[in-house]
Amino acid sequence: MHSIRAVAINTIKQALRIKVAVVFTILLLVLLPALGFTTTGDETLKGRLQTFVSYALSLTSFLLCLLTIIVSIYTITSDIEQKQIYTVITKPIRRFQILTGKLLGVIVLDVILLCLFSAIIYTITIYMPKFIKVSESELIEADNEFFTARASLTVPEVDVTKEVAKRYTELDRRGELPANVPREEIIAQLTQQAQLAKRAAGAGQVLLWEFNNVEPLAESMFIRFKYDVSANPPDSQVWGKWFVGDYQFFKYGTQSKTPIYDEMHKHSVRNFHEIEIPAEVVPEHGHLAVAFMNVPSLNSVGIIFPPDGLEVLYKADSFTGNFVRTVFLVLFRLIFLACLGILAASFLSFPVAILFCFVIFFTASFSGFVLDSFSFLSENVGAVYSYTIKWLIQLMPQFDKFNPSKFLVSAKLLSWTDVVKVAIYPLWWGFEGDMIFVKAALLFLLALLIFSFREIARITV
Amino acid sequence: MEYAIETFSLTKIFSDWWGRTKVYAVDNLDLQVRPNEVFGLLGPNGSGKTTTLKMLLGLLHPTKGKALLLGGDGTDPKINCRIGFLPEESYLYRYLNARETLDFYGRLFGLPSKVRKMRIEALLDMVGLKAVANRAVGTFSKGMARRIGLAQALINDPDLLILDEPTTGLDPIGTRQIKDLVLKLAERGKTILLCSHLLADVEDVCDRIAILYGGKIQTQGHVRELLQQTNKRQITTDAISDTAVEKIKQLVREEDADCEVTSPMDKLETFFIRTVTAAQQQAQPTSGAVSTTKIGDFLTQQKAVESILDKLVSAPIAKQGSVETPKLEKVAAVESPGPKADEQLLSKLTRSAEPSEFKAVTKKEKVETEPVESQTRRQEQVRENILDRLTDGSGTKSQDKDKTEKPQAGDSGDA
Repeated sequence: MHSIRAVAINTIKQALRIKVAVVFTILLLVLLPALGFTTTGDETLKGRLQTFVSYALSLTSFLLCLLTIIVSIYTITSDIEQKQIYTVITKPIRRFQILTGKLLGVIVLDVILLCLFSAIIYTITIYMPKFIKVSESELIEADNEFFTARASLTVPEVDVTKEVAKRYTELDRRGELPANVPREEIIAQLTQQAQLAKRAAGAGQVLLWEFNNVEPLAESMFIRFKYDVSANPPDSQVWGKWFVGDYQFFKYGTQSKTPIYDEMHKHSVRNFHEIEIPAEVVPEHGHLAVAFMNVPSLNSVGIIFPPDGLEVLYKADSFTGNFVRTVFLVLFRLIFLACLGILAASFLSFPVAILFCFVIFFTASFSGFVLDSFSFLSENVGAVYSYTIKWLIQLMPQFDKFNPSKFLVSAKLLSWTDVVKVAIYPLWWGFEGDMIFVKAALLFLLALLIFSFREIARITV
Repeated sequence: MEYAIETFSLTKIFSDWWGRTKVYAVDNLDLQVRPNEVFGLLGPNGSGKTTTLKMLLGLLHPTKGKALLLGGDGTDPKINCRIGFLPEESYLYRYLNARETLDFYGRLFGLPSKVRKMRIEALLDMVGLKAVANRAVGTFSKGMARRIGLAQALINDPDLLILDEPTTGLDPIGTRQIKDLVLKLAERGKTILLCSHLLADVEDVCDRIAILYGGKIQTQGHVRELLQQTNKRQITTDAISDTAVEKIKQLVREEDADCEVTSPMDKLETFFIRTVTAAQQQAQPTSGAVSTTKIGDFLTQQKAVESILDKLVSAPIAKQGSVETPKLEKVAAVESPGPKADEQLLSKLTRSAEPSEFKAVTKKEKVETEPVESQTRRQEQVRENILDRLTDGSGTKSQDKDKTEKPQAGDSGDA
């Protein structure tokens, strides 16, 4: 342990004294406050805050990623190329302890710098409303939609397979199936129809959704929605009657202890809107119902909610908590990149290792795009793709999917469970994780293996 | 008896990318270095000296064969604890200062902070860098870096010291200091493997040497035996009158031999050191290293290799042992009670029958440049060796003392 510690401390000293870390630190110390003064967003306070947090956090994350790659590679390759490793490795230290020490040093450095910069970003964000003259309503908007962490409950796709199968056999029996169309296509069409029916409300019809475990912390919550319509109404606006309250009351008609929200709203179609609802309507057991009625006297068109067209948002945690957790996401990235850098340095020279890591880093940053494009191409490539490249790409972390600023900008709750998911849960089997720790550990193990068996000295005869 | 370093047909072949053999850097090397011995590994550039060291220390993997250091593997931390290594150049972290450098290496050994601090100060004092201890090592001259490198190798009070060209880049005074240090360490019971092509250095300090060429040992043996010209005698006297010289010449002629009379020359080294010491006494300023003749007190006497006789003979030296680690000292002393020493005596007895020495002697015949010695003389030598070992461990001791006194006598102006 003492030797790991010695190596770790030496690594930190190295990073600071060869001035790599210092350059990055100064750069950020200048850029972050500058960003705070220059960003304007859409001129509202909320827009300003969103732009600042998004840019500042992305910049910090990006620069620290570069720093981590450079330091983790340099600290090992320079030891080998300048041969200081000769004097280290002949001391009572195992090779795995050297690498562990280096990794620990890089991570500690990352943690220190990340704490420093996120503290700066946090402070600027928190004090920004006090330095800018804004109206009361903008302050309230910022409070409700930015300085919060809202849990988002969405409506899952309704399972209609049984229904569709039944309908198919019925059509088959009646001999109404179109000829020359394969079965799969008909099933797909029927499924689409059935699901659309579940989301559509004709004039006078009511749609009911249920949500579990709703625990709002603030006095109000929000319903975020988007209307699609069967035919365009004259002014592109429709009326809707919204009910929110105890699910038991709506389903079984039992007496509700909490009030029921019941109001009419007029909104334009094909845009997202939010309506504010007092949190007191949420029953104690957290089983909440949201109902929508297509008011027959005012509308003449059918209203359809698109698949992602309805969300219940409520304050589930503070902005601070959310901010801390997003910083953890950044830290995970850095840890992954440190392991990657050490792996590359364990068998490659400095320039090659840097190139290798940058390729991986940028691929991971655009992994969604890369995955999509490969999936698109794969229709032609087929088996070769799905058994080779797809797996390789999935082995990479998905930095863009778990982009920290995404959560802060929309004030979306990032729970501790989510953080753990990103760290260790797999992507498949319904877990929306990234396994970034598992991937990092695998890389580091591989690095240990390579480093333990390689010859340290260069051949000189 | 356990050798301090032993290799068994150690071989290193460097092959190209396709795996085709290119060079035999080290070829079936069988090397034995005894405990408490200063062993010199000589050879021209590219003869495989450094490659051998790298294999001993696990920096390179041998293609074939095996090497034992202090009876274990050179990559085992337990063994590494007892080894000090100075590589061919001082590879140091340029951004650390001298004190931090030593602190880093001390931490790798897990030395408690009190001991570490004490040793660092003692070592800085010893290598004469105390004044520049807070300067980054990257700004040091080659000789100063070499001194820190040496201090680094000594911080764990090693039993076995492996020095690869320790005197490169050092001024003559530094060279002399390192040589003196090697002798002092040997006196304290350390084993030292010295790797060099500077023959003068090796000649002054080594008990035994091996000459490597093309990765093979060409010859090995005691320095004195290898170098002594048995067909000549030298007499050194004080300045005597010409008549006395004539008388001596007369005597020699009666013996039917030739004789040459000259005044002996100072070695340039001695002269140089005398000059610089004089300048130092006038306290002329320098930004470089300051020479001292101190030795770190913590560098302990090695108990494990002492025989009974050794203990009796060198009792006063043993008292000089380390100041800051008396507990360890005691443990070491308890670990080597009577029976163990007996074992060592026994092993010495048995080892003298081993053929290794003979092999080395017979090998000499193959080397053209060696003077041919008579068969009887050689046998006498071998017998002497065995006798040496039978009778006393102090035999080697006194030999060491001879050596230490020899160079010191030369530079009376130094102290």
